[in-house]
Amino acid sequence: MLKIFFGEMENAIYTPSIYFNNQYEDEWLEEDLAKAMIEDVDQSKVVSSHLIESPVLGPIPPERLSGGVKTLLLMAFDDSGHVFNGSACGDNCAKWISTIGTHKDLTINLHHIMDFSMVEGFSAFILNTGKMAESYEAYLEEAIKIPLEDF
Amino acid sequence: MKGMHHIVIQNKRIRFAFSIKRNITIIRGDSATGKTTLFSMNEEYGNLGKDSGVQIQCDKACVALSGKYWQETLENIHDSIVFVDEDSRFLKTKDFAKKIRNSNNYYVLITRENLPALPYSVEEIYGIHCSGRYMDTRQIYNLFYKIYSETNPGKVLIKALVTEDSQAGFTFFSQVSKTRGICCESAGGKSNILGILQEKLLDKEQKETLVIADGAAFGPEMAHISQLLRGNVNIKLYLPESFEWLLLYADILNKPSIRQKLEEAENYIESEKYFSWERYFTDLLMEETEDSPYPYDKSNLKDFYLQDKIVQKVLEAMAPICLAKE
Repeated sequence: MLKIFFGEMENAIYTPSIYFNNQYEDEWLEEDLAKAMIEDVDQSKVVSSHLIESPVLGPIPPERLSGGVKTLLLMAFDDSGHVFNGSACGDNCAKWISTIGTHKDLTINLHHIMDFSMVEGFSAFILNTGKMAESYEAYLEEAIKIPLEDF
Repeated sequence: MKGMHHIVIQNKRIRFAFSIKRNITIIRGDSATGKTTLFSMNEEYGNLGKDSGVQIQCDKACVALSGKYWQETLENIHDSIVFVDEDSRFLKTKDFAKKIRNSNNYYVLITRENLPALPYSVEEIYGIHCSGRYMDTRQIYNLFYKIYSETNPGKVLIKALVTEDSQAGFTFFSQVSKTRGICCESAGGKSNILGILQEKLLDKEQKETLVIADGAAFGPEMAHISQLLRGNVNIKLYLPESFEWLLLYADILNKPSIRQKLEEAENYIESEKYFSWERYFTDLLMEETEDSPYPYDKSNLKDFYLQDKIVQKVLEAMAPICLAKE
C-alpha cells in the first residue's frame, strides 16, 4: 500500500538524489523494474549495472540518472526503512510510485501535491489526515486540507 | 537588477537558452528534463570558469548557490543571476525569503515546492522541453515553456465574482457587479481563495464564476488551484498583474506614456526596491494621480474610478471576458 505524508517529516531523506549516489547497490540496476523505470522516465537504456546509455548525455554512470529515477529506485529497492522525498520526482514518475506501492508497503514524503490523475486505479493512505483515498479526487481533497505553509 | 536577460548555457552535448525578466523565476516539471543538469553546468562553470568546458553567455554573472554556508555566500553576490537547485532545503525557509528581499540579484529556483514565503508571478513558472538538436549538431537544444500560459480565460460569460482583494479592487468590482445584478465576494487575501473554491465546487447550483487575483504574486497558490479546477468548466481564473495594473492597462488616465511602462515593465522595475511587481504598479498609479483631483488610494477608492466611462474602459481591457447582466 502507498502511504503519503505531506510536509516536514522527521528522519525523511530530503535529498534522495545524493543519498542514492552514496547508497545504491549495483544489483538494483539489473532488476526488470529498474530497467523499465529508467527507460520510461529517462528514456535511457541500462547496458550494465555500471553503465547507462542516455540519448542526451551519452554513456553515463547511475549517479547521473535523473533525480526522479534515482528516487524511484530507492523507493523500490532500498531496504533501510527510510522514507524518501517524493517531491524529487516529476509527475512522469507518479505511475511508478503507484506501481511500487502495489507491490510493497511504501511510505513517501511529499512537499507538493503530486499529480496522480493519470494513474488508473490510484489509491493511497494519507497519513496527515488518517484517511484512505480511493481515487485521485479523494487524494486531492485530503491534500488541499493541509495549509500551503505546512508543505 | 532590472531588465530582461538572455542566458545561453551549453557544453558539447546540451544547450539551454532562455530569458528571465523578474527577480524570481521558478523551474519545475517532469523528471529528466535537464533541470539539475542546468544547475550543475552553472556550478561547474562557477568553480572552474572556462576550464570546465561549459560556456555561459549572459550580460550578468550566473552563479550557482548551494550548501550549508549559503547565507555567507549570498552576502557576496550582487547584480547576478543566482540559480538554486531543489536539493537546497533552505529554499523554503523564511531566512531565504528575507535574504532575497531587497536583493539586487535575480533568482532562478529549481523546485516543485510552492514556496509560499516568496511572491512570485504565475507567468514566471517554467518547465524545460527539448526542441531537438541545435543546428544539426549532436547538441540537444532545451527551451523553457510557461507552465501556466493563460492569465485571461478568454470568452466567458460571468455570473459571479470573487476578488482576492478586499480593498480597492473589491470596491470596484462590487460596484460593477451591483449594476449587473451579479454577486461579488472578497476572499480577503490570496491564501483564502483555495477554501472558497472548494466550497463553490461543492455547490450543486454552481454559477459561472470569475476569480480575480494578482498574478504578480499568485505563483505559490497556482499549483493547488489549477489541480483543483482541472475539468471544471464554471470557475475561471483571471490573473492580471494586479488591480492597479488593470486600471493603468485600461488607460483610464489617457496617458499613452504609461503603456510603455507596462509593456516593458522589467526595464522600470528595480528588483532591490520591488520584491513583487504589484507594488510597482500601485506606486506608478499613485505617482500618476498624486497631483490630480483623484489621487489613488488603495484603501479608499475615489468615486472617479467608479464612473461609468472608467468602468467601461476596464471591462474592455478585460475582454473577451464578459460580465453578464442579469
